[in-house]
Amino acid sequence: MLKTLIDAFALISTWEVIIAMFAASIYGLVIGSLPGLSATMATALLVPVTFYLSPIAAIATIVAASSMAIFSGDIPGALLRIPGTPASAAYADEAYAMTRKGEAELALGAGVWFSAVGGIAGTLSLMILAPPLAEIALSFSTFEYFWLAFLGLMCATLVARSSPVKAIAGMFIGLLVSCIGIENPGGVPRFTFGMTDLFGGIEPIPALVGVFAVAQVMRAMLTPEPPPIPRRKFGSIMAGQWRLTKKYHWQMTRGNIIGIIIGVLPGAGADMAAWVSYAMSKRFSKEPEKFGTGHVEGLVEAGASNNASIASGWVPSLLFGIPGDTIAAIAIGVLYMKGLNPGPTLFTEKASSMYAIYLMFIIANIIMIPFGIVMIRLASYVLRAPRSSVMPVIMLCCAVGSFAIGNNMFGVVTVATFGIIGYVMEENGYPVAAMVLGIVMGTMVEQAFVTSLIKSDGSILPFFERPIAAILAAMAIGALIWPVLVWVWRRLKGGAPAAASVR
Amino acid sequence: MRLPDRVTGLFLVGLGAAAAYGGWQLPPVPGQPVGPNVFPLVIGTGLALCGLAIAFGIGHSFEEEEELIPVEGGQPPPPTGKFYGLRALLPPALLLFYVVVADRLGFIITAALIVFVTSTALGARWKLSLPLAVLAPIGIHLIFSKLLRVPLPAGLLPMPW
Repeated sequence: MLKTLIDAFALISTWEVIIAMFAASIYGLVIGSLPGLSATMATALLVPVTFYLSPIAAIATIVAASSMAIFSGDIPGALLRIPGTPASAAYADEAYAMTRKGEAELALGAGVWFSAVGGIAGTLSLMILAPPLAEIALSFSTFEYFWLAFLGLMCATLVARSSPVKAIAGMFIGLLVSCIGIENPGGVPRFTFGMTDLFGGIEPIPALVGVFAVAQVMRAMLTPEPPPIPRRKFGSIMAGQWRLTKKYHWQMTRGNIIGIIIGVLPGAGADMAAWVSYAMSKRFSKEPEKFGTGHVEGLVEAGASNNASIASGWVPSLLFGIPGDTIAAIAIGVLYMKGLNPGPTLFTEKASSMYAIYLMFIIANIIMIPFGIVMIRLASYVLRAPRSSVMPVIMLCCAVGSFAIGNNMFGVVTVATFGIIGYVMEENGYPVAAMVLGIVMGTMVEQAFVTSLIKSDGSILPFFERPIAAILAAMAIGALIWPVLVWVWRRLKGGAPAAASVR
Repeated sequence: MRLPDRVTGLFLVGLGAAAAYGGWQLPPVPGQPVGPNVFPLVIGTGLALCGLAIAFGIGHSFEEEEELIPVEGGQPPPPTGKFYGLRALLPPALLLFYVVVADRLGFIITAALIVFVTSTALGARWKLSLPLAVLAPIGIHLIFSKLLRVPLPAGLLPMPW
């Protein structure tokens, strides 16, 4: 234990890792603070760069950039009422109301302080939850893996903020994309239409870059430019945060716990955590009437929640290769590239690398406080960058980055195609996160499914015979029929008018 | 680009059916009951069923409650002109343009064109978009080609490094 910890320290105290973390932190802060550029997009565009780094430095950039971007989305939320990332959308109104009351320092300070606390709480959950779960997971067979993957895919559709049917459809589209290529049980070219470029299948990373970055540039073409930020002087940012921590320690803890749980659930990430925690804070507050008028309580809880989900999202990713959120989905791609294939054995064979990940999360969340303060003070300059100068650079990064993944122009075609797919899906209410999960998990789901079927000789029964498999199966089937039950229940209760009156 | 649910649903039915049929056509592994054909068959069927449900508006009641949530902030502008919506297709079109001409023209020239067009389309004046079109490709080339050793096409205008 102590030795692995020392090894982990040795792994991260190289110049490469330190510089990578430093640069990625600044990058994450800037991208997160620019409206319309999300934390997932920041991470996806970073992947081509991680190709050329050592494994630990590659993970360091992702950890640092994603944590910083989630906090930094609070800045334009508070100053302009435009969330920098979707994860800050839940409380952008509240933070802006505080700014109008002249409490911008308190709102932004709460953002940085409770983000850091939340991030550390999430890291602790990763450290505590992952190793014992790995012990259990070592005895899993393909049946358990199949149900686990199935459950993960179902979770993603349940928590989507749109129609569950559309979410399931999105997931199926993703799984269908993963069918392309010759990497299947028979080794035959499948859905390649005779194109040799498709034989290797669709690489997840260019697809993700397309869905999150190109689609965003496409959306920018049709939306107006956000207004420039007014110049202002800030007072002390951290003043009063300790008082808030003491006053709202219970809200903070609840936010942390909710964030951790939502992070662990596959497919649901920081934005979901922030919405749920903000709603919960209002629901259980002693003074709910103050919400919406510039009350800091919801900010504390939601800010603590969205950053906690970032670290805990790595739990299922590291253990099973099932991404806890879209950022973790990208992280999984990087882990595979770097030979750190997700699985329970990672915690025994590569224990020092795992400790290095924990340490990097903690360091990233500690340096978030000074970096965040500097970023808040510089925000009026950074946010002055017009969109027409940022988006073209993003376009170039998409083109070059997707080319760099395989040194092959087909990557650029993939990015363009998935840009269109992602844009059309989002416009029509199909959650792209569900499709991303399908693409990332597809090969694994198919392998577990087909291997299990071969082992059971085509029979369905062995899927339920092992105890853990049976429990997972019950949960998965429950998740599948839950929306149907709700729908039937609503119909019986009186159809559409009743549903409309709920809101 | 907002299409009625009936259209997207029926498209998914078609896609699912095609996938299931395509999967069914694949040769099985000799001597084994399950091969590469099973998974696409299952996925395609599922997708087609979802498409049917969407086309007939099942599960739509869930959606209405959530539409109030502003995800991006900012209101959509009033569409000006009939082809305004087609502007969204500019980014993917430019990427495909890159695929077609980058090898001949080289990275710097192609990238400069992409930057100039994107920036102008987003409302930049030439005072901003022209210097950006010169500096951004050189910066990106420096990072990716020099530092990360990505073999970007040199084309007509090779960089001195």
